[in-house]
Amino acid sequence: MSGVLESLSNELATVVATAGGGVVAIHARRRIPASGVHWRPGVIVATHHTIHRDDDITVTLPDGATVPATLAGRDPTTDLAVLKVAASGLPSAKLGDTAPPRVGQLVVTLGRPGSNLTASWGVVSSVTGPWRTSRGGELAALIRLDVGIYDGFSGGPLVDAGGRVLGINTSGLARGAAITIPVATVEPTIAELLERGTIRRAYLGVGLQPVRVPQSLGVKLALSSDVALLVVSIAPGGPAERDGLLIGDVLLDVEGTPLGDPSDLLAQLGGDRVGKALTTRVIRGGQMKTLQVTVGERPESRAA
Amino acid sequence: MNASATAPAPGALAAVGEELAATVDALRRVTVQVRTRGPGIGAGVVWGGDGLVITNAHVARGDRVRVDLWDGTVAEARVFARDRERDLAALRCDRAPLPGGAVLGDSRQLRAGDLVIAVGHPNGDVGAATVGVIHVVDAPADGPPRWICADLRLAPGYSGGPLADAGGRVVGINTMIHGGLALAVPASAVEAFLARAAGQSVSAAPRPGRRAPVAPGARIQGRRR
Repeated sequence: MSGVLESLSNELATVVATAGGGVVAIHARRRIPASGVHWRPGVIVATHHTIHRDDDITVTLPDGATVPATLAGRDPTTDLAVLKVAASGLPSAKLGDTAPPRVGQLVVTLGRPGSNLTASWGVVSSVTGPWRTSRGGELAALIRLDVGIYDGFSGGPLVDAGGRVLGINTSGLARGAAITIPVATVEPTIAELLERGTIRRAYLGVGLQPVRVPQSLGVKLALSSDVALLVVSIAPGGPAERDGLLIGDVLLDVEGTPLGDPSDLLAQLGGDRVGKALTTRVIRGGQMKTLQVTVGERPESRAA
Repeated sequence: MNASATAPAPGALAAVGEELAATVDALRRVTVQVRTRGPGIGAGVVWGGDGLVITNAHVARGDRVRVDLWDGTVAEARVFARDRERDLAALRCDRAPLPGGAVLGDSRQLRAGDLVIAVGHPNGDVGAATVGVIHVVDAPADGPPRWICADLRLAPGYSGGPLADAGGRVVGINTMIHGGLALAVPASAVEAFLARAAGQSVSAAPRPGRRAPVAPGARIQGRRR
């Protein structure tokens, strides 16, 4: 009796075995190793939160050999890290479309928390986005999975029914929930990490909080929106302090884009803005004021 | 979009659904309820045609248990062998022979990603089923794996019931949940347990695709050597 269930089972196991040929174990923390994906020759993609040290990292290959690896860079904001290894003959990930998967699509998650390959299956449970992480990074899509979290989940690939890698799984970005960092985010991030070792993030050095602008003031200044961002802190020595922003200033817009939420400002602070001047309108002392702030680069911080 | 990403043949999903339902239905017929004086219902597998039922040792507490068959008949069963370390118990029903035993599969052939099906009675839902995949195959170099580890959503009440492959062949006995994953005792370990219980030196190898062998009736309290 060889029916559709058995052929489905065989196909799944074959997809797992084939895609699993590029899944490695990464020893960079105590206890259980994490997973990583051999993205292209010599380059392994993993998750930042499972790599606890920068040196003495080793990688266990699918054939059981353990080789040294060097950390090429990490980006806490997207939870990605890139390692380089000297391993020949290791198959690279077969990448899928950069278009996000569809809700309900059958997917397999793979891992290697040690010498053995692990597999789970499920469906894509939601796709939204783009999505800004709590650490300020941006994912091209937020892909939530209907799969359990287990040892080796983070850093492993999300694989579709055709064996194509759709992204890198992580439990470290959405409060422990199972999500996938899509290929469309992985590609540019690892390219910059390989080139520079870090991801440049534009930075102003202000703490902001949304506030409602009093109606009388809104009318007086002819504002189009009644919400804006109150400056509640200024980082010492940061771009905002240098260019004269003050605590108590209320930011209305930057480069003509209205600010109703701190994420509106973050969206304007891509890596390409570093070193460029931004024009911002603020309310100070009941008066409208236009300021120029030269964007800095976010200081390297492992914690945030 | 490349060719393999195009839509599958129409009806493929429906065919999977129908065959899954038929496979689960067949498994239900060899799955029994095991009741003791305590609360809750455990599961068990009709292993042979002569009244032999396999379940977990933690399900079959005491020397006598009640076994409810799929067709509604109720039998008294005597626990004639028990191995607490492997969490297995062998029962003999007074109402022998039972209708048809489980078809056994070869747990050593399982690969990560293979479909598996569990049947049991979670929270008293008699004959419920859950489907998942083999999570990891962790076999020692010199023998069969001690556990089958599956990405399968078990709950209390699945204990002692069958874990089957995509062909409906029983490859293990669902035993516990660990880290969100299901652990099942492989069918080969059940065979070895029955051989020990019979005091015979029978090969631990399962017999794929065949009915389980008639269990020996020796009264041994599953001592492990």
